[in-house]
Amino acid sequence: MTRIRMRVNGKAVVDDVPPRLSLADFLRERRNLTGTHLGCEHGVCGACTILVDGEPVRACLAFAVACDERDVRTIEGFADDRVMTALRQAFHQHHGLQCGFCTPGMLITARDLIRRNRAGSEKEIRKELAGNICRCTGYTNIVAAISAAAAALAGGEETDAGGTQHKATV
Amino acid sequence: MHAPSNTGLGVGASLLRKEDARHLHGRGQFVSDVKLANTQDVAFVRSPHAHARIKTITIPPDAEGRIFTARDLPRLAEMRAVPQVNGFKVSGYPPLATHKVRYVGDAIAACIAPTRAEAEDLANSVSVDFEVLPAVIDAAAAITKTPSLVHESWGNNLFIERVFQEGNLDEVARTAEVVVRRTYRMNRHVAVPLEGRAVLAYRDHRLDELVVYTSTQVPHIIRLGLSEVLGLDERNIRVIAPDVGGGFGSKARLSPEEAAVAALALEVDHPVRWVEDRGEHFLASTHTRDHHYRVTAYADPRGRVLGIDVELIVDGGAYAMWPNGPFLETGMAARNLPGPYNIRNYRVKTYTVATNKSPIGPYRGVGRPGACFAIERTIDEVARAVGRDPAEVRMDNMVTSAQMPYTTIANLKFDSGDYPAAVKLCAEAIDLPAVRARQQRGEPDGRLIGVGFACYSEQTGHGCGEWVSRGSPFIPGYESCTAQLMPDGTLMLLVGIQSHGQGLETTLAQIAHEELGIDPAKISVRHGDTGVSPFGMGTIASRSIVMAGGAVAHTSRLLREKILKIGAHLLQCDPGDVRCAGGKVVGRSGAVGMDEVARVAHLRMEALPQGVEPLLTVTSTYQPGIDTGVYSYATHAAVVAVDPATGLVELLDFAVAEDCGTMINPMIVEGQVRGGVVQGIGTALYEEIPYDEQGQPLAGTLADYLVPGAAEMPAIKIVHLHTPTPYTEYGVKGMGEGGAIAPPAAIANAVRDALAPLGAEVNETPLTPRRVLAAIRQAQANR
Amino acid sequence: MKPAAFEYVRPKSLGEAVGILSAAAGDAQVEAQVMAGGQSLVAMMNLRVAAPDLLIDIARLDELRAVSETSDHVVLGACVTHAAIEDRLVPDPSRGLMPDVAANLAYRAVRTRGTLGGSLALSDPAADWPTVMAALAAQVILRGPGGERSVDAVDFATGVYETVRGADEIIASIRIPKLSPGARWGYAKFCRKSGEFANSIAAAVRDPDRDYARLVLGAVNGPPLVLERTSSLLLAGHGEDCRQAITEDLQGLDFDDFQASLHGAMASRAVGQVLT
Repeated sequence: MTRIRMRVNGKAVVDDVPPRLSLADFLRERRNLTGTHLGCEHGVCGACTILVDGEPVRACLAFAVACDERDVRTIEGFADDRVMTALRQAFHQHHGLQCGFCTPGMLITARDLIRRNRAGSEKEIRKELAGNICRCTGYTNIVAAISAAAAALAGGEETDAGGTQHKATV
Repeated sequence: MHAPSNTGLGVGASLLRKEDARHLHGRGQFVSDVKLANTQDVAFVRSPHAHARIKTITIPPDAEGRIFTARDLPRLAEMRAVPQVNGFKVSGYPPLATHKVRYVGDAIAACIAPTRAEAEDLANSVSVDFEVLPAVIDAAAAITKTPSLVHESWGNNLFIERVFQEGNLDEVARTAEVVVRRTYRMNRHVAVPLEGRAVLAYRDHRLDELVVYTSTQVPHIIRLGLSEVLGLDERNIRVIAPDVGGGFGSKARLSPEEAAVAALALEVDHPVRWVEDRGEHFLASTHTRDHHYRVTAYADPRGRVLGIDVELIVDGGAYAMWPNGPFLETGMAARNLPGPYNIRNYRVKTYTVATNKSPIGPYRGVGRPGACFAIERTIDEVARAVGRDPAEVRMDNMVTSAQMPYTTIANLKFDSGDYPAAVKLCAEAIDLPAVRARQQRGEPDGRLIGVGFACYSEQTGHGCGEWVSRGSPFIPGYESCTAQLMPDGTLMLLVGIQSHGQGLETTLAQIAHEELGIDPAKISVRHGDTGVSPFGMGTIASRSIVMAGGAVAHTSRLLREKILKIGAHLLQCDPGDVRCAGGKVVGRSGAVGMDEVARVAHLRMEALPQGVEPLLTVTSTYQPGIDTGVYSYATHAAVVAVDPATGLVELLDFAVAEDCGTMINPMIVEGQVRGGVVQGIGTALYEEIPYDEQGQPLAGTLADYLVPGAAEMPAIKIVHLHTPTPYTEYGVKGMGEGGAIAPPAAIANAVRDALAPLGAEVNETPLTPRRVLAAIRQAQANR
Repeated sequence: MKPAAFEYVRPKSLGEAVGILSAAAGDAQVEAQVMAGGQSLVAMMNLRVAAPDLLIDIARLDELRAVSETSDHVVLGACVTHAAIEDRLVPDPSRGLMPDVAANLAYRAVRTRGTLGGSLALSDPAADWPTVMAALAAQVILRGPGGERSVDAVDFATGVYETVRGADEIIASIRIPKLSPGARWGYAKFCRKSGEFANSIAAAVRDPDRDYARLVLGAVNGPPLVLERTSSLLLAGHGEDCRQAITEDLQGLDFDDFQASLHGAMASRAVGQVLT
């Protein structure tokens, strides 16, 4: 067992974990944050996408021990986030979900692509969504929702609740 | 006929979904999200061989009590699918293999440990000594050659051989001036719902009940199945399908893992959980499609199809899934081969073959995508043979609205609809003249443009007589609903279907609103739980809106009668002078709230009218006005660009002209269409699970089994026709599967059109670049 | 799909990492694996097709994310991520080729973690970087117990998942010569689906000021393949002859008709982008 410390959705957590425990399982089984879903465990489907230090990451391909000291944000951790709120409204209005299993990963990916200014065209959005499989909707409404949310947000500063500007870390 | 209430909340409203909130916040609850103290995880030891006798199973001594083989679970009986179909060979499907394994992935032992990782360690510590047997892999060859028997007692490897014949095909064959012969193949699929299967089971000692959470579409049927294989009374089993992350038919059968995990829960003192991983899903979830067709079409010089002669082989896999078995697939394909066409001479010889592959089950469209592929490609070839436009030839062959109701040669009774109108509307939606113009101009990058059409008619909401005639062991010809007005006037609807993405928590509330005037925001729909809902047959066969929608409507009206009696009494007027609207009972001179009516019925019985008993709970069932189904239908059109240098097919445009009668919620209908179409595109261009000669599946991850992604999908245009059927509530027809039926045919026809200058055609799905290039090369060699 | 158990260590320096790796290399009982982004490795571990006893996590070593730039080359630390290259957070020696490749590699959530060095070390034949680094005539700098050595990228991979990296060596950095202002590049890859591994990759670079041109094929079920004849013609600027040269270069190689068609098409496209 290895002791790890992390921030999860703004809260400090400490735990002892076996090295092979994935970040996804750590969140789901140890923190009871079951909004992050497992659809493949080989990095393709995107259902497990979360944020680590502000960047989207596959929780199924990260070991919890390797995320020691990191800042992790799951779907449960976006209560006051302007971009996520706009996305949630848009997904609801545009019927961008059916069974809901892909939705948390889809929302986190959508939020990231909006923050990186990749929502300029339908084609661009679709390309950015290549890493999130949806088996139910056929994608049309998801793309429409992201486009609508981006338009609704445009003109305002795209920052998160903490006021930090996004940048990719090296 | 019903006139909609126009509140914007009832029938016809694109009401935003009630189920969205929890999913948008990551608070959905799928089986693997349910947390019970002391749960341990299960991993299965699975066969690495397609066909083998089990000689010995060696379990490490320190794993005693944590690893269970069939021998360790004596109460676990085998599953036996016994459809009432003459000539169908029955066999048992042991949830854990007994003396033989019959496909790669066949479960041999269940291992229990505190975590899944440790359970997998345990599974890897088990060693099994096999005597490998020849694997039966080539379904076509297996009809006549028998290197070994999948089921020893059978004598051959056929679940069933069946011929259907109507009309005078031999006469037609003798005299027809146009003969078109083709073979078609739709390759084996896996359903790939994003949530795999999952089971969590435990014993509730207080209620003396085995509780089984399972990601299923058919909870009551699973309860029935478990009671059979475990020898338990149904009253001692509760099955709960919480949120289910997609099913598409693949979760509508009793799975060996459900049976095994339930059996384990009876052996240990803690909850046991199995969460299917994606690798297991490819190996051991229900496989699907896998049709081979040989079609001969006889036509006149105008392209009128006079008769079709078909041989159909369905690769059924190693076992019959409980309760129906694989003939459901074959039977549906055979009956739908004549399509929406007026073809009066038909013969189809079918072979449903047992092979050493994963068993097959239903998947969106069931036998119809394969049948549609076969007939729609054939119609196109007939059109080319006579030098006419395929869209025109389609319309000439179609059953017209004037002919409705029309009984097809395969005894499908089309109730209503204008099939040729859908073709015309679809051609407009795709802007056919513009596509043709672009085709003429040529592409600067050398790619070839093509457009293709495909049509289908989809039997939905079919009832008692239809299922009986299919030999179904259970007859899903009705649905049930309990409508319960709470003491505070809010409403609970308890239904026997199971919504797993179709939005039934919303649409059923819309229907209840239509009848009772209660705001959908004050209505809760409970489904998926046998402990809560009256018996129901689950969500399959595009039945839910017809059957459950009908049940909600019917039950709500019965409830309304009683509400109006009480309300009228409180308003001191005649029941005939009041109606339900806006959450109230409204009379000429006043209104009383639903909450007041409910209060009286539960808490103030002294205020009830004479002869009216307390409570406001009604349970009733519903059957549609016709057994033979109500038929939604559509024409699909695909526009493609084919790169002759690489064989890559890009979808430039896709249009659907569909008719599903009255739409309870148009937004949800369109969502179902688009979702279905993209799965159909998956069939057309991406999805197959090939096998090698030893029976090893050659696709095991999402990196080698491709499902459609957003970047390659077109925006799908949808236009609607509206032909309400007289046989259902509000005139609704089911439509959930239709989107997946036509795309493979439309796309293959589009590719055919694009490659027409080269004389190439591809008659096998998926139309991979490899197959497209091979077809081009073949056509060049033939010249 | 959960991995087999393993020990995890996070060394604080590259030297320490090399020491641990070296000790494990000498110990028959211990199979050690270096992990940078883990995007390929962890997927393989989840499937249990890889099951190391010891995982050496180098992702956070600052020295492996260091970058430096001179007038004629850029050195990128092995743990520079695909996302950093995509976002141009590191100097680009390739006049846009590398950011373009990075932006089309897998998916964003994989790019934020996956690294240039990790991709080269794994040498999946269908990965992008081995082909691109070969086309740019980059060098792979390896650190071992005895110090550093440099290997030309074009010689680095020897087969499918096989490289010249010793069992006790870690890729430290990649040194990439800068393309001249007049240089042109072309990149074509064939995927049925965006983000999946390619069935054919072609990277072409033409830098006449440095007397350099190279056309490299990837996803050839082996190490990246330099098309020598075509590369010479590319340098000379003889576009019309390149098509024929591609066919000649592909002759006799172990490709079926479909693969040969793809490789020919991608190679032509990449060359076409250079010479327009």
